[in-house]
Amino acid sequence: MSIVDEIERAGLGGRGGAGFPTAVKLRAAHENRATLIVNACDGDVGALKDTWVVAERLDAARRGAQLAAAGRPVLWAAHRGSVTAHRLAEAGLAVLEVPHRYVSSEESSLVSLFHGGPARPMSKRVPFVFGGRDARGRTVKPTLVLNAETVWRIAQIDEYGADWFASLGTPSEPGPRLASVTGHVARSGVVETEAGSPLAALLRAAGGLRPDAEFVLVGGLGGVLLTVEEACGVAWSSEGLGRFGGDVGAGVVRVLDPAECPLEVVARLLEHGAGESAGQCGPCMFGLPALSQQWRALVERPSSAAARQVVDRAGLVAGRGACRHPDGVGRLASSSVRALEGHLREHMQGRCEVRRMSDVA
Amino acid sequence: MSRESRVAMPRAVWVDRVRCSGHGACAQIAPDAVELDEWGYPMLTGVPVDRRTGREAVTLCPAQALFLQ
Repeated sequence: MSIVDEIERAGLGGRGGAGFPTAVKLRAAHENRATLIVNACDGDVGALKDTWVVAERLDAARRGAQLAAAGRPVLWAAHRGSVTAHRLAEAGLAVLEVPHRYVSSEESSLVSLFHGGPARPMSKRVPFVFGGRDARGRTVKPTLVLNAETVWRIAQIDEYGADWFASLGTPSEPGPRLASVTGHVARSGVVETEAGSPLAALLRAAGGLRPDAEFVLVGGLGGVLLTVEEACGVAWSSEGLGRFGGDVGAGVVRVLDPAECPLEVVARLLEHGAGESAGQCGPCMFGLPALSQQWRALVERPSSAAARQVVDRAGLVAGRGACRHPDGVGRLASSSVRALEGHLREHMQGRCEVRRMSDVA
Repeated sequence: MSRESRVAMPRAVWVDRVRCSGHGACAQIAPDAVELDEWGYPMLTGVPVDRRTGREAVTLCPAQALFLQ
């Protein structure tokens, strides 16, 4: 049985966030003799796991990348000047140095960068594993992008077999999985877990939720905000999180600091998201700043009409970019409207304790 | 399906969002399939277009950002 068959039987899905079946990508890559780019950028806000894989599991990840590349060249993408880029270069690997922007480590951004273009997302008429053309009509050679954790999992499947792999996780999201837990927890860092495990267990593995924690962001800049009660009752799987519009994504979890007003935290995230637009696609370039301003307006004068405007705007930007950045930021905004409903009401009544304290300070 | 019936079938439109610069010609030519947001960028309704309208919209897009699927 070939490694691709074994990966298919294992049910491995990409660990970079989209979760696309790796075996499907690999078959197309092998047919088209695609070059492999291993994405070790930890592109999302709060992501730590690619760094961890390169620091702790590089030999295995390298073996997995060789299996995936099937004789074709392999490049390792990491942020310019990062510890990870340094480690990869030290190990003698070919490094694709990526600028420090949010969308620059998106799959098609890496493909563009590899072809000498800007590190910005490209429109995808067909997946670039088949090759194609960019928006300016230039040829793009067949290129496969796999996340660093994904190639490590390939090595594990090769070593321990598909049955072992599929015995962990859920039927739709099998296998062991890394999560990056940061924020208001005792021990920020990378946790080895599996889909379907309670989110509370994941938080316990990071030293546990502090008693004053109120909100948990599951996913990074495109994540969903949950109240602590919701977070403690949900399974960390795309099925469980789907109830709130979320998914396991690239495994990012952040507990918000209760010393900060959550409305402010979300405002800053949305501003950051708007600033991180590559400025290529109109709906994102204009829509995200508008979304961010509408959030500000909601914070200044909370009302259900203002909340509705945020949700409507979020719906309007979704699906209208070359990449999923506008979808993600929109999801963060609309999920925050939902999770912060109670807190917004406190603001309407002029009693946000956190805000009053920070105003005094 | 014969070739003729296939090309005559209504087609969905697709926008290359990087190329699109919001001229809005598509919404003029195929108003059922394309609406414009407040900045003039297309919002696809999902309504398919007939072949003639689709061809016209694709040809007249100044940014060459429109495609038929």
